[in-house]
Amino acid sequence: MDILLSIPILIFVPMLVSVLLLSPFFTSNEVLVRRFAKSVFVFHFLYSLCMLLFFSPSNPYICKIDLFGMDWIQSLGIKLLFKIDAISIIMCVLTSFIFMLASISSKFNIRKNHKFYYSMLFLLMSAILGIFTSGDMFLFFLFWELEMIPAYFLIGGKWRTDDNGIYDVDAKKSAMKFILFTFLGSMFMLLGILLLHYYNYAENGILSATFSDISEGTIPKGIQVLIAVFLLMGFGVKLPVIPLHSWLPDAHTNAPTPVSMVLAGILLKTGAYGIFRFNYEMLPYSFRVLAPILAILALINIIYTAFVCYAQTDIKRIVAYSSISNMGLILLGLAANTKTGLSASVFHMVAHGLVTAGLFMICGIVYLRFKDRDINNLSGIATVMPRLFGFASIIVLASIGVPLFAPFIGEILTIIGAMQSELSVVIKFAALFSLPLLILSSCYMLKFLHKSFTGDLKEEYVKVNDISMHEFTVLASILAGLVIFGLYPNAIIGLIG
Amino acid sequence: MINDIFNILLPQFVLGALILLLLILSMFLSPRQYRYARLISIIGIFSSILMLTTVQTEPQYFGLRGAVMSDSYTLLFEFLILMCGFFVILVTKNLVKTIKRNAYSFQALFLTALLGGMCIVSANDFLTLLVSLELMGFSTYFLISVSKGYHSKEAAFKYIITSALSTGVFLFGVSYLYGITGSINFSDIYEYITNNETSVIYTIACVMIVLGLASKLAVFPFANWIVDVYKGCESSVLAFLSTIPKLALFGIICRLIVFPLGNSFELTFVIAILSLVTALWANTYAIREKNVKVILACSASANASYAFLTAGLVSVYNLSTVIFYLICYAVMNISVFAFLNIYGDKNSMYVNDFKGIFHKNRGLCGAYAISIIALAGIPITSGFIAKIYLFTAIANSGLIFIPFLLMLLVLTVVALFYYLKILLPLFDECDNKELLPVMKPAFSQKFVLYICAAITVIIGIYPEILIELCRLIAYSI
Repeated sequence: MDILLSIPILIFVPMLVSVLLLSPFFTSNEVLVRRFAKSVFVFHFLYSLCMLLFFSPSNPYICKIDLFGMDWIQSLGIKLLFKIDAISIIMCVLTSFIFMLASISSKFNIRKNHKFYYSMLFLLMSAILGIFTSGDMFLFFLFWELEMIPAYFLIGGKWRTDDNGIYDVDAKKSAMKFILFTFLGSMFMLLGILLLHYYNYAENGILSATFSDISEGTIPKGIQVLIAVFLLMGFGVKLPVIPLHSWLPDAHTNAPTPVSMVLAGILLKTGAYGIFRFNYEMLPYSFRVLAPILAILALINIIYTAFVCYAQTDIKRIVAYSSISNMGLILLGLAANTKTGLSASVFHMVAHGLVTAGLFMICGIVYLRFKDRDINNLSGIATVMPRLFGFASIIVLASIGVPLFAPFIGEILTIIGAMQSELSVVIKFAALFSLPLLILSSCYMLKFLHKSFTGDLKEEYVKVNDISMHEFTVLASILAGLVIFGLYPNAIIGLIG
Repeated sequence: MINDIFNILLPQFVLGALILLLLILSMFLSPRQYRYARLISIIGIFSSILMLTTVQTEPQYFGLRGAVMSDSYTLLFEFLILMCGFFVILVTKNLVKTIKRNAYSFQALFLTALLGGMCIVSANDFLTLLVSLELMGFSTYFLISVSKGYHSKEAAFKYIITSALSTGVFLFGVSYLYGITGSINFSDIYEYITNNETSVIYTIACVMIVLGLASKLAVFPFANWIVDVYKGCESSVLAFLSTIPKLALFGIICRLIVFPLGNSFELTFVIAILSLVTALWANTYAIREKNVKVILACSASANASYAFLTAGLVSVYNLSTVIFYLICYAVMNISVFAFLNIYGDKNSMYVNDFKGIFHKNRGLCGAYAISIIALAGIPITSGFIAKIYLFTAIANSGLIFIPFLLMLLVLTVVALFYYLKILLPLFDECDNKELLPVMKPAFSQKFVLYICAAITVIIGIYPEILIELCRLIAYSI
C-alpha cells in the first residue's frame, strides 16, 4: 500500500501534469486538453478517495523524501517531510473534489488559452495539497508562496473571447491586490516561522523545522505570544479576518467562475488549517491567551460582514461576503479550544467549501446566460430555468443552515463547542452573539434568491436555455455531498475523534 | 617572492599576461579581426581558473611579506569572480560588434577589472586593497563609458566622482587605524586590537572604512550613483557591474568585519541602520519608476543592503548565508541582464516596451521570468532559498534585530510589486501579434540565459550541496 498510495503521487502528479501542459510538445487542441485535464482531475479524486478509504487515524501516512541521503537543507534541519493525518486527509479529499468540479465547470467559462489555464489549475492544486500535507514549517511556507503564481494568473487572466463588459476591467488589479495582501501576510508568517525555528533550537536544543519536533517548551512566554501574533497575521490575511479582508471580494468577483469556486472553497481554508497546525497545535499557551481576541474578531467577521453582505447588489459579491462571514464561524470554532469546537470547525470547512462552490457555480451560470450580476436587473430566472431554480433554492436553504444539510450541523456544533469553552467568558459571549448569523444569512441569501429568480422576466431573455449536463453534474454532486454530510456528519467528525 | 608567485599568485599572473597580450594585439591587429578578442579573454579566464588549482589554501598562506593571502575563502571568491567574468564575456557579443576598433582594449580592460576583483579578495593589507580597488575602479569607468552616446559618459563621470569621494573616506579611516595600531596589515591590526583596549577613534575608523568600501555596493550615503549609472550603462556591462564588484567587495568586507574591524560593536548597528535606510530608499524609489534598468538598479541596491545587514551581524553562520546569497544573486542577475541584452539594449527601456513579447519568444521570456521570480524570492527558485537562509541568519542574531527583520520583510513585499511590474507586461494580451518582435539571440547569449535560469531552478530544488560548501568555506576563514 505504501507505494501505491503515497503522498508524492498525490502532490507531484498534478505538478508534473502542469509542466506537461505548459510544454510546447503537448497538443493545443482545445477539446483534447480539456478532456485530458478533466480525466486527470477525476483520477486524482478517485485516488484521494482510495487514500481516505485506507486511512486509519492511528496510522497516518508519512513520507520523507531523501535527496541523495540528505535532508533538504541540513544546516537548518529542514526536511522534505509529508504527513497526512485525519484533518489533512479530509482537506485533501475536499481539495480534490472541488478541483474536479471546477474543471468540469470550466467548459463554458474558459474560452481561451486552455493549456495555460489547466496548467495553472494543476499547479494551484499541487500547491494547496502541499500546504495540507507538509510536515515541515518551511515546506509549508514554500507551498504557501508557490500558490501565489497560479492564483495570480487564474484571477487576473483573460480567459474569455467575448467582451466581458465592465467586470473584466479590474481583474488584473484585483489579482495584484490579492498577491500583495497574501505576500505581506506570508512575510509576517515567515517572521513567525523563523523566530519559532530559532527559539525552538535555542530553548529545546533540536535543530529541526518539522511540526512534531517543535514544542513551546521553555520558550519565554512573551516571545511565544509574539510569534503567535505574527503567524496569526499571516493566516488572517488568507482566512480572512476583518481588517485584512479587502482583497477577497474583489478577487472572488473578478475571477472566472471555476476559480471563484476554488478560491472560496479551498484557498480560504488554508488559513484556518494554518491556524490549526501552527497556533492550535504547536503554541497552545499563546493560543489560549489570544483566544478571546480571536473570538471577538470572529464575531466581528460574522456580524459585520453579514450586514455588509446585505447591502451588496452584485450576486458574486454577496456570496464572497457570505464566505467571509462563514470563515468567522470557523475561526470561532478554533478559538473555542475544545474538541467539539475543533471538529465543528473542520466540519464547517467542508460544508462551507461545498456550499460556496455551489453558490459560485449558480452565480456563474446566471452570469453566463444573462451577462449581468446585479440583483436589481435580474428577475424571473425561475420561469426559464426551473431546474437551476430548484438547485439554487436547495443550496441557498442549505447555506442558511436548514437542517438536513451539512452547514446546519457545522453552525450548531460550532456554537455548542464555543459555549462549552472554559477559557473565557468572552468566547461564550461571542458564541451567543453569533447566533443572529442564522437570521442575517437568511436575510441576504433569500434576498438573492427572491430578487433574481422570481418576478417578471425581461423579454430578451425568453430564449435562455436551462442548465446543461455539465452544470447539472456539478450542482448535483455538490448537493449530494451536502445531503450526505448533513445526514451522516459522523463521517467527518468520527474521523477526527 | 618567486615562491609566493608560484604558490598563490599564478591565476592573477596568468590573467595579467593575457591582458598584456590583448593590449599588444590591439596595436597590430586590424579592427576586422575583432572576433578573436573575445576568444582570447575566454582562454585567459579558463587558464586562470585552471591555475586556481595550484593555489595553496591549507594552511593559510601569506605572500609578498603579508600583503596578499590565500585560503579556501579567497579561492572560492576568485573562482566566482572568474566564472561571472566568463558569463559576462559571453554576453558582450553585441557590444563588441559595435566597438570593433576598440574590441581588444575593451577585453583588456574587462580582464583588468577581473584581476582587480581577484586582488581585492586576496588582499591582506590596506595598501594592496587600495591599489586593487583602484585597479578595478579605473577599468570600470572605461567599461561604463564604452557604449556610444552621451548617457554612458555621464554615467561614467558620476561613477568616478562617487568613487573618488568614497576612496577618500576609506583612506581617512585607514589613516586613523594606522594611527592607532601602527600597521596597515590586517593580521597585525587584528593582533593589536585583540590585545589592547580600543577607543572611539577606532570605531570612527571602522565606520569610515566600511562606508568607503560599501559605496561600490550602493549602500546609503553613497547610493545615489546607482540610478544614473544603470540608466546610462550598456546591459552587458551592467551584468558585470552588478556582480563582480559586488562579489569582490563583499568578499573583502566580510573578512574585514571579522578580523581587523571585529572589535567594534557600534559598527554592527551602524551597518544595520545604513542598510535598512538603503533598503527603504531603494524599494520606495522603484515603485513609481517605469524604466526597467532603474528598477533593476534599485533592486541591486536593495539586495546588497540585505546581504550587508547580514554580514554586519558577525558570525560564521551569517557569513555562510551571505556567500550563498551572493552566489544565487549573481546567477540571477547575469541572466536578467543577458535577457535585456538579447532584447536589444537602449538607454530607456520602459516597462511597457516589453508588452506581449512572451507570445513570440516563449523560451527566452520563460527563462527571464524565472530569474525575475527568483529575485522576488518566490519558491522553486534559488531566490526563495537564499532569502529564507539569509533571514534565518538575522533572526538568529538576537531579539534586538527583529524590528530590522520585520522592516526588511515588509520591504520585500514592495519589491515584489516592482518585480511584477517589470515581469507582467511580458504576458499581456496583444491585439496584433504579427507586429511583436522576434528575438534572434546569438548562441552565446542564449547559452548564458538558459544556463543561469537552469542553475537558479536547480539550486531552488536541491540547495543542499551549495549550502554545505558555503558553510565549509565560512568555517575555514
